[in-house]
Amino acid sequence: MGNQMVKKANAFEILNHWVLAVSFFILAVSGFGFLFHLEIMNSLFGSFNQMSVVHNYAGIVFAVSLVLTIFNYLPVSLNLDSDDMQWILRGGGYFSRGADVPVQDKLNAGQKIFYLFLLLTGTAIAASGLVIWLAPGVRRWILISHFIHNISFDLMLMVIILHIYLATLANPGTFRIMVYGTVPVEWAKKRHAKWVQKTGGE
Amino acid sequence: MPRKSLLISPELCIGCRGCQTACKEWNQLEGTKTVNQGSLDNPPDLIPDLYNRIRYVEVPSGANPVRWLFVNQRCMHCGDAGCMKICPAPGALYRTNEGAVVFSKEKCIGCRLCVTACPFNVPRYDKDNKISKCHLCFDRISEGLTPACAKTCPTGAIRYGEREDLLGLAKKAGYEKVYGEADLQGLGAIYAFKDAPKLYGMDERPAVPESVVFWHTVLKPLAYWGLGGAVAASLLHYVAFGPKKYEEEVKKDG
Repeated sequence: MGNQMVKKANAFEILNHWVLAVSFFILAVSGFGFLFHLEIMNSLFGSFNQMSVVHNYAGIVFAVSLVLTIFNYLPVSLNLDSDDMQWILRGGGYFSRGADVPVQDKLNAGQKIFYLFLLLTGTAIAASGLVIWLAPGVRRWILISHFIHNISFDLMLMVIILHIYLATLANPGTFRIMVYGTVPVEWAKKRHAKWVQKTGGE
Repeated sequence: MPRKSLLISPELCIGCRGCQTACKEWNQLEGTKTVNQGSLDNPPDLIPDLYNRIRYVEVPSGANPVRWLFVNQRCMHCGDAGCMKICPAPGALYRTNEGAVVFSKEKCIGCRLCVTACPFNVPRYDKDNKISKCHLCFDRISEGLTPACAKTCPTGAIRYGEREDLLGLAKKAGYEKVYGEADLQGLGAIYAFKDAPKLYGMDERPAVPESVVFWHTVLKPLAYWGLGGAVAASLLHYVAFGPKKYEEEVKKDG
């Protein structure tokens, strides 16, 4: 009792998570460079010319990695039930100490919504980025794409920050899932009771 | 330094295209082979090796079988330049003390966003995929010389000088409305049109695309306010409510 672990993420899922995270970080940093003409990027990337090349190809990595997340997260994320609704109405128990929240599946309601949001904005940012890259100078398309690219960047950036906070500081013991893939079974029973029930508590 | 401008008066233009030639000569731009299009427009549009050109506009007229308007087409050096707003590469587009919007091919990253944000469809891209457009002969005017086009114009249809002086000149000549006087915080190429700008093939109200303006004024600041806001909200939550500790939760359940 106490030391028994249960596997919550497999190696592929963990690897893909970090590919997505690193590509996002490169894209966000270079994106900020483009947005605000940060000359310091010259010393990071060599030149803005090279930075645009890095930005474009990191975008490809990001898009492919995002597509690969679908297998791990989309089915469970789309399965929002009444427990999830209750979880959302109670703010996930994040706004009072020791609040009770309904039992949750492998992903809790917040994680489900985060994933759907990420998939949506990620698809928008990748598709619009591809248009900006491959259809330069086509006025109508580029103006729409440039707009979508920037609005989804703003939204994604804010939500990713919250994701990082919730996955580290706010929930001690969660971060290890994206390193080792395992969590104590007691922890899983508390946080993801429905999932533990389904998989027989192993 | 007071802002410099070009005053273009189609009424004075004789369509000799000396401006096109002088510009090519000073800027060492290659000649281009073209095909007869049945019009004197040549080349038929701005190209990377042509920074300014004369458009020959034929309009219906009661008095004469044909009314011919000669309109110089070029970069307008907008006071509020859409190209400079949207350009992601620092130094690729910049403004000189005289007010000219100038490009640097070395800094240009070839994304062509400027093409889509320009209210006048001016920027062109050369074979190296670098921006190319009129730069108001910044290398001449910084030394107190006149741009090549204005220098060579035999009739004064293109005049160069201080913007205020040129506006006064046009008003004195009887042009109450000068095209580009106030649009886009004033154009760097102002036109003395006798009729509605539309007749000359110009937008009545040229403007930077609304999505670009919204992006520049709202979405850009939102990027760093959003970043800072999300970090601040996280820290605030951490201080106010603290982390969720599953050990406590387990204990509570006994």
